[in-house]
Amino acid sequence: MADLVIDPVTRISGNASIRLVRDEGGSPGEARLQAFGYRGFDLFARGSHVDNLVTLVSRICGGDSVFHQVAAARAVEAALGIEVPAAAGLLRELCMWGQLLERHAVSLTVHSLPDLLLPSSDPGLRNIISIHRVDEEVVRRFMALKSLGTLVLREAGGRAVHAVNVLPGGVVRPMGEERRSRLAEKLGEARSLLVETARLIKLLLRRNEEVVESLGEETSPCLALRSEGEMGLLGGRAVLFEEGAGERANLSLEELQASIEERNSPHSHIRVAEIREVGSVRVGPLARVNVYGGYGSELADAELEELKTQWGFPFRRSMLAHAARILEMIHAWEMITRLLRASPGEGSRATASPGGGAGTGAVEAPEGMLVYGLELDAEGTVKTLSITAPLQFNVGALERCLLAGARSAGEGPEGDRRAAVLLETAARSFAPCIPCALH
Amino acid sequence: MRVAVLSLSSCLGCQYVLLSMEEYFYTFIGENAIPYAPFLLDQKELPEVDLLLLEGTVRHGDDFRRLREARQKADKLVALGTCACFGGVPGLADLLTEERMMRMRYGEGAVIEGAPQGVKRLLPVDAYVSVDAFLPGCPPPEDLLQGFLKLALSGTLPSRLGATVCSECGVTSPPRTREGLRRLLSSVPEAGKCLLEQGFICMGPLTRDGCNALCPSSYGVPCGGCRGPCDEALLPPFQDLKGETLRRMERATGERKEVLEREIKDTAHSFFRYCLAEPLLRRRRPGGTATLLRRLGGEGRR
Repeated sequence: MADLVIDPVTRISGNASIRLVRDEGGSPGEARLQAFGYRGFDLFARGSHVDNLVTLVSRICGGDSVFHQVAAARAVEAALGIEVPAAAGLLRELCMWGQLLERHAVSLTVHSLPDLLLPSSDPGLRNIISIHRVDEEVVRRFMALKSLGTLVLREAGGRAVHAVNVLPGGVVRPMGEERRSRLAEKLGEARSLLVETARLIKLLLRRNEEVVESLGEETSPCLALRSEGEMGLLGGRAVLFEEGAGERANLSLEELQASIEERNSPHSHIRVAEIREVGSVRVGPLARVNVYGGYGSELADAELEELKTQWGFPFRRSMLAHAARILEMIHAWEMITRLLRASPGEGSRATASPGGGAGTGAVEAPEGMLVYGLELDAEGTVKTLSITAPLQFNVGALERCLLAGARSAGEGPEGDRRAAVLLETAARSFAPCIPCALH
Repeated sequence: MRVAVLSLSSCLGCQYVLLSMEEYFYTFIGENAIPYAPFLLDQKELPEVDLLLLEGTVRHGDDFRRLREARQKADKLVALGTCACFGGVPGLADLLTEERMMRMRYGEGAVIEGAPQGVKRLLPVDAYVSVDAFLPGCPPPEDLLQGFLKLALSGTLPSRLGATVCSECGVTSPPRTREGLRRLLSSVPEAGKCLLEQGFICMGPLTRDGCNALCPSSYGVPCGGCRGPCDEALLPPFQDLKGETLRRMERATGERKEVLEREIKDTAHSFFRYCLAEPLLRRRRPGGTATLLRRLGGEGRR
């Protein structure tokens, strides 16, 4: 029985294929996500002065660029003991929430919404360009959320892809009062659109219940950074939550880095990251909501309650990540509003003398934990750099989800057709970022 | 027109710019047929198209096959972004041999099923196939991409000749500080004043324009060269990116070139951050990257 191969997987970030390996009886035995072409960022950054590090690692991924920048900057700051001025910290956070809004909007509307909206139509029609031909307005409304994230990022970071405002020690330029209030004004208009979209996504998930359930249940532990109070992107500790066992571990960032174990995959250049003595974990929007139990912002939490009632909590179904994404976008919107209103205070960055040292920087990127570890020599040159990207943690859960989808698709040519659709839908529910994972 | 968008090994940043053109994005998808763009739609086979926007670099055999097919099926092929035009930041991987890089990442003798053969060195896409137009930038600014597309879709492909970032920069000359080489980590540049003259490594004089000098002019951070080398650095008589920058810094800082050169240990990351893979710079003479690669490659290049 021949393997089923989907190449390329479309409507995801980056180039990957899916191979469904069948056993002798013809039933699905193994499902693989395959991506090739390791890019070597962690190796060629060695020897670079820290001045150049942030611009280098930004180029790992356009859609997650600010997260790479901040993670690298924080690793440098930890290594050299730099205290970032509070105002700069807030502005960097603003960049991150802006990019999270943008990235989630792209995964939701450009990549996954067509599947939810048009589950039974021709695959050729399941994309925003075809939808735009029949209903211009609906595409514009969805894209407006992406544009909002882009705008926040452009204003706070200098430009939307590979921002120029972040560097070790803080930011280059603070954001003036006038620009802050102008942006806050623009933000107000998006509230109703966000809530409307959240309700639509929840409705569509209910309508596609059969598909949601056919992708199996995942109960592996969830890993997220923990910050005080509301869900954040820059927590100082990492928490491992397991259904039934509660908080299994609570680690400092250095402990987290020490407990990450990477190993080769037999069929892909994406190295698999696991946690020592725990094994495979989940990261990203679903893991975050499972760890926190809520968002800590009114609007997002109100929308979350209904979801919990409907699907049970903690969430196990991978496609519920779409709902978690829109709720995070609402939360991001609330956080951005708050950050713009906060009185920023003084100071944009702290300087430091170059010196030797080692540091860890971790952030919650849109699709989960991103961990940087580095060592510097006395002249401020990068000696070693290690990067662990969200998909490296999630690839185990993603492949289990693919297999569950394949098994529920049935046999024969009709089963194959169904499997092909289900497998891509399953992969998209993780919004996998291939460029990050192949750094 | 029939337009396709294809990414090889890339960060997808250029695709994000395409989505960020606001109103023009709707004009673009409304007035043209987009039969192939894996980031946006499901079509798995590349059909014949009038214009193909290609992002990223060739990393392995699969990328090469995709590039060759793109060349065969596209009437006009556009290298979009600095990776496609000059190799971009990923081109810094040439500092190590491919073999060594894979060994360090996956261990000695690792076998990964289905992995295509990696390339021995990184190159811009026009080293593999002919390219009809170039739009460098990391990423190209939205307005630049929009202007480019408007022209390209009306049948004119813009040439890539241009001026430099300095020509767009709004800074003024500071009084000579004579502080020697300065780095952002430990010092804050004076806003609105030329960064090179303040002793920072700024690639503005040798980088092609088109970005409105956003970094040095609006943000006060040195230009890293993300739009790629200007024509003077690529065409004879070549201007040497490193030597030329050091010469200017010598004048500004009062520090001898040789001293600066010894002090700046990350030559590739500082002067060739976006264009180490560009063959036109790979010259065996002072300032060419050939010697640089040989020296830093550790094991020599085949």
